[in-house]
Amino acid sequence: MDLLAFAKGPALQVAAYIFVAGTIWRIVGIVLLKEKVDYSEPRKSAGLMAALKVIYTRSFTASPFKRATLYPKMLAYVQHLGLFAVIFLFVPHIMFFKGFLGFDWPGLPNNIIYLLGVASVVASIALLVRRLTSPVLKLISNFDDYFSWFVTVLPLVTGLMIPVRMGLRYEDILAVHVLSVVLLMIWFPFGKLGHAFLVFVTRGTTGMVFERRGAKT
Amino acid sequence: MKKRPTVGEILQAKGVSRRGFLKYCATTASILALPPAMIPRIAEAIENARRPSVIWLSFQECTGCTESLTRSASPTVEGLIFDAISLDYHHTLQAAAGDQAEAARHAAMEENDGQYLVLVDGSIPLGNPGFSTIAGISNVDMLKETVAGAAAVVAIGSCAAFGGIPGADPNPTGAVSVMDLVTDKPVINVPGCPPIPMVMTAVLTQFLTFGQLPELDKHGRPLAFYGQTIHDRCYRRPFYEQGKFAETFDDEGARAGWCLYKLGCKGPTTYNACATAKWNSGTSFPIEAGHPCLGCSEPNFWDGGGFYEPLSTGRFDSGAKLAGAAGIGVALGVAAAAAGRSKQAKFTKEG
Amino acid sequence: MTTVDGRHELDREAERLAYKPPEIRHDKQGDMASEERINQAMHHFVKNFNTQTASYLDGCLHCGMCADACHFHVRTDDPRYTPIWKIELFKRTYKRQVGPFAFFYRLLGLKRHVSIEDLEEWQHLLYDSCTVCGRCSLVCPMGIDIAGLVSMARHGMFKAGLVPHELHETAKTSAETGSPLGITPEKFEERVEWMADEHDVEIPMNVEQADVLAVMSSIEINKYPQSIAATAKILNAAGESWTFRTDGFEATNFGMLSGNAEWQKKASMKLIDAAVKIGAKTLVLPECGHAYMALRWMGANMYGKPLPFKVMHISEYLADALNTGKIKVKKVDKSLTYHDPCQVSRRGGATQAARDVIKHLGVDFREMEYGGDYNWCCGGGGGVITIKRADPLRHRVFKLKMDQVEKTEADELVSSCANCRQSFDDSQQHFNWDYTMGSLMEMVAENLEEGNS
Repeated sequence: MDLLAFAKGPALQVAAYIFVAGTIWRIVGIVLLKEKVDYSEPRKSAGLMAALKVIYTRSFTASPFKRATLYPKMLAYVQHLGLFAVIFLFVPHIMFFKGFLGFDWPGLPNNIIYLLGVASVVASIALLVRRLTSPVLKLISNFDDYFSWFVTVLPLVTGLMIPVRMGLRYEDILAVHVLSVVLLMIWFPFGKLGHAFLVFVTRGTTGMVFERRGAKT
Repeated sequence: MKKRPTVGEILQAKGVSRRGFLKYCATTASILALPPAMIPRIAEAIENARRPSVIWLSFQECTGCTESLTRSASPTVEGLIFDAISLDYHHTLQAAAGDQAEAARHAAMEENDGQYLVLVDGSIPLGNPGFSTIAGISNVDMLKETVAGAAAVVAIGSCAAFGGIPGADPNPTGAVSVMDLVTDKPVINVPGCPPIPMVMTAVLTQFLTFGQLPELDKHGRPLAFYGQTIHDRCYRRPFYEQGKFAETFDDEGARAGWCLYKLGCKGPTTYNACATAKWNSGTSFPIEAGHPCLGCSEPNFWDGGGFYEPLSTGRFDSGAKLAGAAGIGVALGVAAAAAGRSKQAKFTKEG
Repeated sequence: MTTVDGRHELDREAERLAYKPPEIRHDKQGDMASEERINQAMHHFVKNFNTQTASYLDGCLHCGMCADACHFHVRTDDPRYTPIWKIELFKRTYKRQVGPFAFFYRLLGLKRHVSIEDLEEWQHLLYDSCTVCGRCSLVCPMGIDIAGLVSMARHGMFKAGLVPHELHETAKTSAETGSPLGITPEKFEERVEWMADEHDVEIPMNVEQADVLAVMSSIEINKYPQSIAATAKILNAAGESWTFRTDGFEATNFGMLSGNAEWQKKASMKLIDAAVKIGAKTLVLPECGHAYMALRWMGANMYGKPLPFKVMHISEYLADALNTGKIKVKKVDKSLTYHDPCQVSRRGGATQAARDVIKHLGVDFREMEYGGDYNWCCGGGGGVITIKRADPLRHRVFKLKMDQVEKTEADELVSSCANCRQSFDDSQQHFNWDYTMGSLMEMVAENLEEGNS
């Protein structure tokens, strides 16, 4: 079996199992912990709507904090939106999703995707530089931060190498790209990349607690 | 031993003009990406070449390779070149059969010991040698016997090169490729299902001209024809980059000639000359005709994902296994939460 | 003539040239072995974990934005004051003990063990440099309530006997005598009588049945006793049936501030029992920030079921009374700015109440930049003002407040928390500042319309 067939086949399968099992493991392990009961009289009722509200609003920084956090926030947005576009709006990827979802959606022209991919890589590098040089981030960062950065940027870079080619064979780079995604999928549930699904829990629960008090969310 | 006429003498006898002959040499040089200075060398080599002996063995094949090579729209010089070799043995084309035919093969092998070319199409079954025999001789035996005194072996078509359709899952005959069995002689793979005729003759011509094997890629294919992907030479490539894809075979995009990636085109991972040399003397090739590339010159292309499945589709197992993984996740999560809670209870009791 | 001995660093960052104070002491209570302290700290941090807090510790992105919201970090640029870093040791423990992958963390030794030196350093981070003000919780893109996690961490620190001495002693005094300043019921009764006399106001004490139970904070009883009279004036003017009770008068909760859950419950239950005893419909809390958080939002959980009475901060009571016309105030012809107590406004949700009151007072109200829910903390909450060694840090941080207030150019500065008032008074003295913090409640009491009291 050549490298590409291995990457697309057994490797991707195992990655899918680990991704699914790990994500569910983490969510269930957290959700099944004790539930906090609150007997205080609520100022406002705060159920699912409060959770959804804060899930949405926390994506935007409140204005008193904007100036201090503008630079990293901007970089993070470029990185995330670039990633989103590359993953979900690039036609070959859309076909990948169609393979197991059964439906597809319109994509963007490849050249735009390449541009957004490059922007995402540049933003990622800038974020890494910041993490390595800011006193706060230098202190609080650990292996998880750096490794998660690496497994997120690697698929972007290897993906961009497919059109750029640099003298390598298409199927070889494609195999490396798929394997980098396999690595990402395997790491995803366990490190801080899990924030992709945990964000709903953290923002949601905070939303419910604080909205209940009528406090700022 | 009768002195064989040179190829040049034969061509002259057949009335091929010098100009026509040189034109063929020029075309060949260009296909082989050789500089124009090589044209006289090619001409000289072919002219003076003794008709080399070629033994063609057909094993588990559909005869498509032979059809491709021999069926031309009109008589071409490529066809004449074929006349210029001494095709001493070919199941489909020869009139004789049985003992006489086998005797002819042995005679050719003895007379040209160490110098003849063996061309093979079709895969060789190892599951039971009786699955494919010629004159009572199994394919594997005939191959071993014939190759012993050969100068080189050329595996024509994907079956001979990689196992092809008989070798596809579940491979009931235990089919293998030529290079799986021949390890002590040079083997050139000319895959394709079928291969492009021009590619075939150019490979032979190169061998005749230089007396050595062309530069081969990691799958033993001549780099001159298998060094670039269809994708990199496809005339529809701009549509791929612009995001214009045909969604079905008869929609507006298909009629406008847009990229066929979504319909399963394997162009990006397929190395062949289809996009440049094309078929039927440069008439067209599958993508131009509106059908996605099957990837037929690649190993195991039959098992490499459905023909209409986009290249980027993952090869996933059944959903049941994934559901199983989800179940394991739930179990681990429950166990973790239970362990966590019991730890908490312990700490609470400790006070 | 002194010789500079070179052991102490010159503090170039200080407002005036100074030498840095010597090595900070690490306070310890009791005589547990270090290993035992570590276990106590960790176990008592994680034992109350639930889905919400677990998701918080699993969800941190190490983005560092919380540092930009924290007054301690902003004024010192010391990365150790990054709010989530204050939780670091406990995050490790969570992942090792209770998290979904705990088994593997332990098996593979993935998180460093916590050492006693770590905990000693962290005492300063958790107590000296956190007022549980909650600004960090507002900026966090994951929505993590970091301030809440600090409170949880303090539970662990208390059990480990790693609380700053002054705070510990104050909490202990509170648990033993019922008041952080040792004000006994008799002393309280004395003060109330004195204020009733001094200000010529009727102050009911120990009435058997009343609709409203009023309580005070020790800071007010001791430092700003006029609050007692002001409270009485207002409740009388509103025509309430109300009372003070000597068996439940202390609104502060040093158990909550220091991290002792039992003491927290004890203090809350005193108030709750008193209110239940007299059949109160409403319990009015005084001008105190954390008292609001302790009883309004955590009280019912101490009680184990919903409280049978409403809990209001005095500013909420005033807003309600003014809005419904129960009391009326004269217009005050001054410009005024308001300092929101963190626990009442941002954390407690009662931001609007004070503004309603201010509207009725008819002043020229000037909101501070970043006023309201995003207000900078006074720096003295969460028990910080009790910790003497934290004074330099607290004063450093106070500059934010001074700038914020001065920008409004208002005549008057008021707040509705006696601890904030105390913090402002202390810093005013330190900096020789020309603003004096006033009390919103006292301002209302002073300007009550005639025919009401």
